[in-house]
Amino acid sequence: MSAFVLAFVVGALFALGTFLLLRRDLIRVVWGLAIVSQAANVYLLAMGGIELGGFETVPILASHGEGVPETTDPVVQALVLTAIVIGFGMTAFALVLSYRVYEEHDTLDASELGDRE
Amino acid sequence: MVLQTLSPGAESTLVIAPMLIVLVAAVGTLLLGTRPRARAGVSLAGGAAYLVAVAAIDWYVVLAPDAPGAATYQVGGLPAPFGITLVADGLSAFMLTMVAVIGVASLIFSIRVLPELDRRSYYFPLFHFLALGVTGAFLTGDLFNLFVWFEVMLMASYIFVAYYGGPQHTRAAFWYVALNLLASAVFLLGVGGIYATTGTLNMADLARRLAAPAAYGIDPGPVVGLLGLLLSVFAIKAGLVPFQFWIPTAYRAAPPPITALLAGATKKVGIYAIIRLSFTVFADAQISVNLAIPAVGTILAGDSPLAFIGAVLFVMGTASILVGGLGAVGRDSLEGVLAYSSIGQVGFIAVPVAIAATTTVPDIRHIAIVAALVYALNHALAKGMLFLAVGAVRTATGTSRLADLGGLASRSPLLAGAFFIGSLALVGIPPLSGFFGKFLVFDAAAQAGSMSVLVLLLAGSLLTIAYATRAWNRSFWGQRTPAVEDAVADPVQVAVLLALAVTIVAVGIGFEPIYRFADAAATAALDTDGYVDAVDPNQTVSGVDGGNVDAGAGAGGGGGETGMGTEPETEPGTGTINTSDGGELP
Repeated sequence: MSAFVLAFVVGALFALGTFLLLRRDLIRVVWGLAIVSQAANVYLLAMGGIELGGFETVPILASHGEGVPETTDPVVQALVLTAIVIGFGMTAFALVLSYRVYEEHDTLDASELGDRE
Repeated sequence: MVLQTLSPGAESTLVIAPMLIVLVAAVGTLLLGTRPRARAGVSLAGGAAYLVAVAAIDWYVVLAPDAPGAATYQVGGLPAPFGITLVADGLSAFMLTMVAVIGVASLIFSIRVLPELDRRSYYFPLFHFLALGVTGAFLTGDLFNLFVWFEVMLMASYIFVAYYGGPQHTRAAFWYVALNLLASAVFLLGVGGIYATTGTLNMADLARRLAAPAAYGIDPGPVVGLLGLLLSVFAIKAGLVPFQFWIPTAYRAAPPPITALLAGATKKVGIYAIIRLSFTVFADAQISVNLAIPAVGTILAGDSPLAFIGAVLFVMGTASILVGGLGAVGRDSLEGVLAYSSIGQVGFIAVPVAIAATTTVPDIRHIAIVAALVYALNHALAKGMLFLAVGAVRTATGTSRLADLGGLASRSPLLAGAFFIGSLALVGIPPLSGFFGKFLVFDAAAQAGSMSVLVLLLAGSLLTIAYATRAWNRSFWGQRTPAVEDAVADPVQVAVLLALAVTIVAVGIGFEPIYRFADAAATAALDTDGYVDAVDPNQTVSGVDGGNVDAGAGAGGGGGETGMGTEPETEPGTGTINTSDGGELP
């Protein structure tokens, strides 16, 4: 069941991100990029497998005795942490850059950007 | 096996040396703050040390008579496939050498072209971070780590594209950032899918699992599509059609020495990643690839992902040659001509890679990879030098528009001579480096018996002659324009250009050792077993379980002498592949 929910969420996020990416307003484009990269992160997380693992498959749990809670694949979580940090930096940079674009062009409309050299 | 003789100490440390050097240079220049002279000094020292480190890797790992052919460094002491492995083999060393030469030239050039800008900016730290990303991408043996190095490289290049901060620079940078952020998301999708399919991200482990999917209980089918996702990301970096549209604006916006680095080094990262993943990692996967359209017939058929890669790259490469060549003929500025020329020239590199992927004859595959590598080297040298020459022209005359230039040859014969040699190398006149690149590409196409490819390559070469001649005639011959009349070329810039011109001539005349190096690089690219052995010589694969996605992730234990003291030592559990690599680190 959760697999279907995740698949739907990833699909919806990509659809929303793509829709925003194709807008003329640069801020919406940045939003679209942020949403697409978050969708990729959710996808990456889901790719670790959403069935529950026990302490046999997750080494860190083995030293905590037998009565540990079940958990999922830790590798993808580590990957996603890295990807989130990179995505955060990139989104911040893209926002600052769109502000600079606004300063230079006095507009955030993509179709009016080409006029000034 | 030759790899067994790998001595554990020195070569292993050498592998990480170039990365450490650029990292130290980047942080050092950052800490020096507003002292431009000290910054420039540290930068140059870092560049020189980088050159020495790369030369040492070339000699001790690849070219020396008793060289092991590949050396690895397990980051943090975690053994492959659990830790991140850095691998320097022939292919990586060849690419690093290319970057070192063009990088140092562009660094020296930078000091002359931007002294006043650097006082209030982060030019040199960013330069080194860009080099760090490129170096890491060439050395890493882990797919996700490749993504991280791509991001390091891109982050620096974003700022360089926006560097001058004018309307067209911020505009170019915004679309460049948007495109590459989207590409990063696609890269993540490919990485995630490959991890879910195969249970590993270590390239050597990936190659081993794909070669024997049944033994690991995996179904490798989806990797063809996932490889397609990755290929599109790498094609964006390389600027292959239909992903070429960002190149002209971004190259025009960035400072000239950075454009030289973008064309000479960053583009090659895309090419490198395509070659590394297609041939070293995915070549042995046995996956039936068939595509037939009822009205057209069979588009592609084969039993390896290479058949798919070959067909796609072939279309992209030939389209790039034509789009780049035709586009370059009509540009009105030197940068524009060279940027479109870059698109065409990358096509010339992609076509032999496509030939290597589609052929099944090992000899032709080998010669085609050699051709691609030699062509890439020539392009890095010649195009890097030409972009630097445009920088020198702009320093001297204040413009690079063809309409405002003319008669530069009589005003600055040395600058003109360097530009002339670069153009000839691009065209492929013997005895310059470009001749052998073109010759080998034609040779590979002829051996593969493809007349249509030969015709296309010939058309591309004629276009190269056309736009190189036009750029030369319009800017260096004819009447001196007012801008040229009182132009004074910077002597240090001209000296750097002449040094690169001499390198181009020397590569052409003394081609034998270069060919041997490219040959070793191609061998390394095609030698999957050697790569796997180098990364993980102790790995023996015994019991195999259901091969679910947890398989590769399960065992963090076993590495006795890890640098991460917090990790408890555990035995690999029942749900994992049994490894016997504990405590046997180099």
